[in-house]
Amino acid sequence: MLFVITLIVVQVVTAVLVYAVARRGVIAEGERELAAEADAVVRQLDDISSRVADNVHLLSLDYALRAAIAQRDEGTVQSALRNHGRRIGAERMLLVDLDGQIRSDTAGTRSAGQPFPFPDLVDTAFAHPASAVVALGGKAYWMIVVPIYAPAPIALIAAGIPIDDALLQRLQQVSALPNMLELIVHSDDGRWSDIARAGDATIAAATMADRRELPLQPTLVRAGASEFVALAKRIKEAERSAPVAVLLAFSLDDALLPYRKVVYAWTALLLLSLIVGLGAAMAIARSMARPIEALAETARGVASGNYTARPPSDGGREIGELAGAFASMTQAISEREAHIHYQATHDAVTALPNRQAAELLMRGTADGPPTDGALLMVGLTRLPEIIQTVGHAIGDRVMRDAGERLRDAAGSAHVARVTDTQFSVWLADATMSQAMSAATRVLEALSNAYRESDLCLDTVPAVGIAMAPEHGQEPDLLLRRAEVALMACVGQEHAVTLYDPATDPHRPERLGLMSDLRTALERDELHLLYQPKLALAKNAIDGAEALVRWYHPVRGLLYPDAFIELAERTGNIRALSRWVIEHSVAQVARWARKGCALRVSINLSAHDFEDPTLPDLIIDALSAHDVAPHHLVVELTESAVMGKPEAALRVFRRLADIGVELAVDDFGIGQSSFAYLRHLPVREIKIDRLFTRELAFNIKDQLLVQSIVEFGHRLSYRVTAEGVEDARSLDFLRRIGCDHVQGFHIAKAIDTAAIERMCGVENGFGRRTRGRCS
Amino acid sequence: MRRWFLIVLCAGTWVATFARASDLSVLVSERTSSVPVADAVIEVRGAADAALPFTPVTRRIDQRSETFIPYVEIFRPGDRVEFHNSDKTRHHVYSFADAKSFEFVIAPGDSAPAVALDRPGQIDVGCNIHDHMIAHLLISDAAHVAKTGQGGQVVFTGLPDGRYSVHVWHPQLRPGKAAPEQNVLIDARGASLEFPLSLLPDPRAGRSDPERNGY
Repeated sequence: MLFVITLIVVQVVTAVLVYAVARRGVIAEGERELAAEADAVVRQLDDISSRVADNVHLLSLDYALRAAIAQRDEGTVQSALRNHGRRIGAERMLLVDLDGQIRSDTAGTRSAGQPFPFPDLVDTAFAHPASAVVALGGKAYWMIVVPIYAPAPIALIAAGIPIDDALLQRLQQVSALPNMLELIVHSDDGRWSDIARAGDATIAAATMADRRELPLQPTLVRAGASEFVALAKRIKEAERSAPVAVLLAFSLDDALLPYRKVVYAWTALLLLSLIVGLGAAMAIARSMARPIEALAETARGVASGNYTARPPSDGGREIGELAGAFASMTQAISEREAHIHYQATHDAVTALPNRQAAELLMRGTADGPPTDGALLMVGLTRLPEIIQTVGHAIGDRVMRDAGERLRDAAGSAHVARVTDTQFSVWLADATMSQAMSAATRVLEALSNAYRESDLCLDTVPAVGIAMAPEHGQEPDLLLRRAEVALMACVGQEHAVTLYDPATDPHRPERLGLMSDLRTALERDELHLLYQPKLALAKNAIDGAEALVRWYHPVRGLLYPDAFIELAERTGNIRALSRWVIEHSVAQVARWARKGCALRVSINLSAHDFEDPTLPDLIIDALSAHDVAPHHLVVELTESAVMGKPEAALRVFRRLADIGVELAVDDFGIGQSSFAYLRHLPVREIKIDRLFTRELAFNIKDQLLVQSIVEFGHRLSYRVTAEGVEDARSLDFLRRIGCDHVQGFHIAKAIDTAAIERMCGVENGFGRRTRGRCS
Repeated sequence: MRRWFLIVLCAGTWVATFARASDLSVLVSERTSSVPVADAVIEVRGAADAALPFTPVTRRIDQRSETFIPYVEIFRPGDRVEFHNSDKTRHHVYSFADAKSFEFVIAPGDSAPAVALDRPGQIDVGCNIHDHMIAHLLISDAAHVAKTGQGGQVVFTGLPDGRYSVHVWHPQLRPGKAAPEQNVLIDARGASLEFPLSLLPDPRAGRSDPERNGY
């Protein structure tokens, strides 16, 4: 476009310049010619006037005329003058006396006696025939004055020969240039007007319109829409005559006509070239711009990730090269991107897909339904230890080797490395049994140790299984649950575990529980239920274990395993324990007032014993409710008791000093250290229900329980059996001398009213009834 | 014979001086160039002049070589003029003067009849065939009249004392202008007058025939 505009501008400027120069040239040339012509015209006029003067001179020699003039024969003189005047083309003849008075005039008698208007002509007539141009009565004449000799000068003849349009026309025909030839006369009012003209057009008015002086140099004159160059020249006039001048002009427009034609042709050419130029520009633009635009389009496609767009193949060589370079660039980018993508979705060490890729895989298609199947989480449980022992380099090689084995074992299943020690194996549309057999295959594949040079490393694989959709549909949920299942394997015998939601300590509902717990403590959503303890010797209820129940407004009834562990981990256990202590002590007080002397056992957490102020708390509660310390028993699980630091031991001892008894719960399934046990001020041990469950028919369990009872008694412990669910077990326990039993067979955890009923408390205060309380 | 004439002349002159008469010397010259002018006619008129009787004379104007000879001639009223053609061509002599108008075609060798010139005045004579031929006849009734020669000077002798008016005429004086005139008082010492004149060019020269003069 710019190119075209430049082209136009250049052309226009050139045309204008050329025209201006041509015009100036034409004007200059015309001026020169005009000046020459003006001189020629004036010379011609002079020539004509001298010829005419010669004629008049000849006329003046006519004898008869001379005789008539000398003899004052006026009539003859008049007619002779007229006749002779006609001979020479004079319009008017005058006879002038030697003293300058008009004696005779062919134009009429009125001027007789008047002085001849041009005395200067009279004066010069005696030297040579006087000739001058005069303006007389609105017309121009040559006035020729010649003396009459008879033989001495006796008079003068003045002949007036008109300079008329015809004469000027003849003059103009001879010369080449001027379109206009006029005779102009200066009138008394100061204006010049034309009195004769060759042709019809006149330029006098236009020329003299706004000037007083004659244009004695060629001047540009504008008359209407046309331009002329005009020049005036004075011609010899009589002294008393009004000034007369000849005015020549040529039409600039006519002179420039050929140039105008050139300009028109030029303009036409310009338009043509404009069209051609535009066409060419458009063609170029299309041939250049289109491929470039297509290239730009392709570039944009590449920017937005589309690598398949082909760059344009048409266009010139340069465009082709550009397109080629572009294509290779696109190719390189796409490869790099693929590489980055690969790296983003694969683990570098094992070349297996990573977690995100695995999740994507399990998700199936983006908008399709999630697929069902089994997710195996395969963990190398000893790997952290291996890395710490022999370093990361070997650890990486172990993982790589494990990955390969896994791939081989997994067959068509999708293997991925999801954490630095775990692989996932996704079996789409697999059943439980298929998952199990796959897990077995995997374990087999990984069971052989990793050997390298002289290293032999056992990785100890374990597999956790989570099924979709039973255990969840979302891939990352499945992964978590499979991991939970895997964690459950750790420390167990079996290397394969199926996810059990009941034992999943990581249910997300639990996370929100803690804030709910805090409000629950305020709003009395928590309640204590009590499970009665039967004293076998007395066959009466003499105690109860306080168990927390949470009536969650949304979740409903929540058991301690739903929130206790979480509370321990989040530090909320202290508030909970405090609440438990408060309420249980209060309840003890209430029962005491009612005459029911039940000893209440409360479950506390190991975390509670990290707090040295715990005894103070209990003391305060006891004193606040005026409860004797021996009515309160603190139960701790075996594993919570064992291996605690010195600070915890001090707390135990303080409690014992106060009089609050310590009971070890779930005895037998933890890691008991008898050495440790002897330091603790324990008064009671509670045999875990694991042992009591099959007590009725399981000889081994019977022997075990019996041993525990005896062992406990020897250490002066009271022994309670938990989880007693049938009479035969009860009888057995009674026979072996167990102190207390607790279990569904006696009662499950019940509220205070139910306890009181059991104890017969409602029958009155202080009255010992046939209740089973003592 | 000559010696006698001279003696008588001297005596006469000596006697004349005893007559108590003076001279008037008049010089006519061209104004700008101060060249003495010939053919100037000087008329002296005094108050005490009596009308002198004039004896009529016939003077001849000849035409020779296409020229009137003399160019200027003085006549007294009553004189006669005779034109004679000494040329080989005819001459058509004419005059349109108020004083006398005449017209003669004179064959070679012939003379025209004498023409009486009665009244004072100036007669310009021309030839119709030859434009350049011109003569002037001046008829004067002045007491003293004379024509200057090449020296441009005329001396009037024996003028009695007294007041005189002197007129000068020349054929080339500008027409329409009054004739130059001067008044003078003659006493025993005499007088001398000068007349510088503005003259037109000699028409005879201006109208010369190129054929005659050779091209």
